[in-house]
Amino acid sequence: MEGPAEESKPDHPTPLEISGLTVSLTTGAWKCAIVEDVSLRVRSGEILGLVGESGSGKTVTCLAALGLLGPAWQTEGEIRLARTRITDAAGAGQLVAVRGREAAMIFQDASASLNPIEKIGKQLTKTVARLRGVSTGKAREIALDLLRRVEMPDPEERFHSYPFQLSGGQNQRVMIAVALAGRPELLFADEPTTALDVTVQSQILDLIKSLRDETRMGVVFVTHDLGVVKEVCDSVAVMYAGRIVESGSVERIMNAPRHPYTLGLIESMPTLSGHVPEGIEGQVPAPDKRPPGCAFAPRCHRAQERCWTQLPMGAQGDGGDSVACFFPLAGDLGRTERAEALSRPRLADGPDLDTLLSLNDAACDYATRRGRFRAVSGITLSLREGDRLAVIGESGSGKSTIGKLMLGIEPTSEGSATFMGRPVPILGTSDHIAFARSVQLVPQNPFLSLDPRATIGSQIEEPLEIHGIGTRQERRARRRELLESAGLSPDLAMRYPHEISGGQCQRAVIARALALRPKVLICDEATASLDVSVQARIIELLRELHRMHDLSIVFITHDLRLARSLCSHVAVMRSGQLVELGETSPMFEAPEHPYTSQLLASMPDVEATDSRTMETMQ
Amino acid sequence: MTGFVIRKLLRTLFTLFLVVTFVFFVLRLTGDPVSAMMPDDTDPAILDELRKQWGLDRPLGVQYLEYWFNLLQGDFGNAYRDGRPAIEIVAERVPATLKLTLTAFAFIVIAGFPLGIFAAVNRGTAIDRGIMTISVTGFSLPNFFLGILLIFLLSVTLRWLPAYGSDHWYNLIMPVITLGTAGAAVIARFVRSSMLEVLNAPYIRACRARGMTERAIIWTVALPNAAIPTITIMGFMVGTLIGGSIVTETVFAWPGIGRLLIDAVTARELAVVQTVVMITAASMVFANLAVDLLYLVIDPRRRYASGTGEG
Repeated sequence: MEGPAEESKPDHPTPLEISGLTVSLTTGAWKCAIVEDVSLRVRSGEILGLVGESGSGKTVTCLAALGLLGPAWQTEGEIRLARTRITDAAGAGQLVAVRGREAAMIFQDASASLNPIEKIGKQLTKTVARLRGVSTGKAREIALDLLRRVEMPDPEERFHSYPFQLSGGQNQRVMIAVALAGRPELLFADEPTTALDVTVQSQILDLIKSLRDETRMGVVFVTHDLGVVKEVCDSVAVMYAGRIVESGSVERIMNAPRHPYTLGLIESMPTLSGHVPEGIEGQVPAPDKRPPGCAFAPRCHRAQERCWTQLPMGAQGDGGDSVACFFPLAGDLGRTERAEALSRPRLADGPDLDTLLSLNDAACDYATRRGRFRAVSGITLSLREGDRLAVIGESGSGKSTIGKLMLGIEPTSEGSATFMGRPVPILGTSDHIAFARSVQLVPQNPFLSLDPRATIGSQIEEPLEIHGIGTRQERRARRRELLESAGLSPDLAMRYPHEISGGQCQRAVIARALALRPKVLICDEATASLDVSVQARIIELLRELHRMHDLSIVFITHDLRLARSLCSHVAVMRSGQLVELGETSPMFEAPEHPYTSQLLASMPDVEATDSRTMETMQ
Repeated sequence: MTGFVIRKLLRTLFTLFLVVTFVFFVLRLTGDPVSAMMPDDTDPAILDELRKQWGLDRPLGVQYLEYWFNLLQGDFGNAYRDGRPAIEIVAERVPATLKLTLTAFAFIVIAGFPLGIFAAVNRGTAIDRGIMTISVTGFSLPNFFLGILLIFLLSVTLRWLPAYGSDHWYNLIMPVITLGTAGAAVIARFVRSSMLEVLNAPYIRACRARGMTERAIIWTVALPNAAIPTITIMGFMVGTLIGGSIVTETVFAWPGIGRLLIDAVTARELAVVQTVVMITAASMVFANLAVDLLYLVIDPRRRYASGTGEG
């Protein structure tokens, strides 16, 4: 990629150096440390992966480095960017001068991170003009050049687009172009690909790598996805409960993790080879409830008395190997040993049983202003009792529509949808109410599907009330049972959705869906908004429910690894067509349709031997 | 987009048709102009003669059709008393009302926006609480009461301003405050909450991350985004202003159509009442049309809005 000569800047050997950083939040008289004693170093041209579950302090560390935390936050320790010591920066003025020039940041939700009512070209031009101090005309040229450098398709045309007219991946390209506007020596990338499809994700990752090669900027790559880390990072710092627990080169961390938490994270990743994720028991402690010793001790199988009372020496996120653990794992623990120790025997698929739900040459149209739009067509598939069917595909492939047809939310435009031999009743008709007892939905965002003003308990009871099942006492008893079977403590019944975590919310939604003892559970991206370790435990829950309650599951997802780990059958969707349908293992090992192999190839995979040579799909 | 504008226009015309019809029948079913005008002991024969002369003896349906027939030719009817065309009587009063309402509208914008922005930027501080307290007081005070309060304070006690009159610019001060305070208070609250929402949006954080100053963020990014929903309220505000002007003009003896309306209703000057109502209704309806069109100009998302499928 050719750029003007002035693009190159003198290299600073270490564009980021953080030592002993503690960040606390004060609310009222209460002060709580969110990040504790964190040290990091990023060299020019290095991509450092900052990994951990949400609440581990990754994002707060980045925001602190740019001085972007609000007045309620205090930072101690030292943060140094290429030329400025942030911790000494005198007042807001100096911080403002640093941002965008010495270090820039891109965010998870690119589409929401651009001004919605200004054309992207204008936003980019203004930023270039301000950060480089050039005229608007010159800035416009540079802006267009930046759009080309981030490989925006049709840059001249896109220049005049608004963010809502672009896809998530294109908006992320714009954000990256904006971040490059001030020629920063350091880029903070906060989960930049989490919200994107797999194919787009790998393109953006490639772009970040090639821009790093070109500009030699350092990158702090925040993510919870170890597959992405393996793909893009040179070194890794693992954060847990506000501290760095392990750091080292990406090869060392992925192949020979020494902290039990790192191993847990790696094992939580579903893989393409059918590895069943274990998840990590328990939860990240809230910042004000961190134990005095090692914060991971309550979840650690190796913890001994000492771990509970003493804090192990902190790990340094400087690229060198270090681990904050009294009893680290042997670094040479083999892959097979680990897998053997953690894996469980896979459940055998049930024998041929009666068909519950089926779609027969079904098509579905949506009415739009410009006429009718065919979302899916010619779909024939069936769900037998005990099946766990994954419907996979990228967004826009029609996979959610399959779920809607099965739930009777949308009528079939052609063909038919049947449940136990009879047509699926359409939502709003009187037959649908009885049908809904047998087929229930678990939607993507648990917070949106729970009433924020009603307690968890009352919402779990609600379906029973609606269908007039049981007396008050019986419903209470059932509520308890449901909470327990979803892995929730009965005490949570009196809480409100905002008082519990995302994973707990999704469990509550599942408990509610189970209230009517349905035969089929349709999960539409049910784990997409959750952390990996929580995700793994929800998958575990679904598998258990499948076994204990004779549930059949339709699992709609874009994550092939989850599909592999949970489901007995897989249906692959592309542009409204069913391109491949079959049993999980054979399909993942030898996909028949080229699109399926493409999907498999673009998936970042922790176990892939050398995915760096992977080719990007066009 | 043209289709959108045409649909809106048709709806506007239909609304006006309903208003004219409703006012026509309500006025004629609630009292007889002839008996309201003549002394109680007038000879019934004379009353009948007058009714016949003004066409009030014919069936209501016929009167209604005739009214439309004249209206479509631009004839709004004549006043009973002096026989002048109603439109002429109303037209004389329009400038005074326009002067009052437009100044009040400007007052609302000039006072409401900065107060709202200021409160939002200083969220949770004494400044914020102070502005919001004033705002609650502002829209809780009925405007006739506020008017009387102002007269008592500024005219009677301090003797700074005359209690009525309309010849000088300073005559506008009290009526404009009376008419505009509630609106300014509502706008201030609305702008505040709209700003707070926008200031929490991810794109504001992204602006900070690329080194924009707080001042630039507030004025060039947050305000344009926060102003969009405020436009709807501004449309409603036009209606409130016209309604409020009736009371305000009465309190301050302002020679506008508000006071004319009160006088005409009392005297049962049907043609005048009808014309005033029609003009005010038309200006409200067109203000809302203007708001809808303004949206298309300032919000690109609406300009390009169209139905889409999903996956």
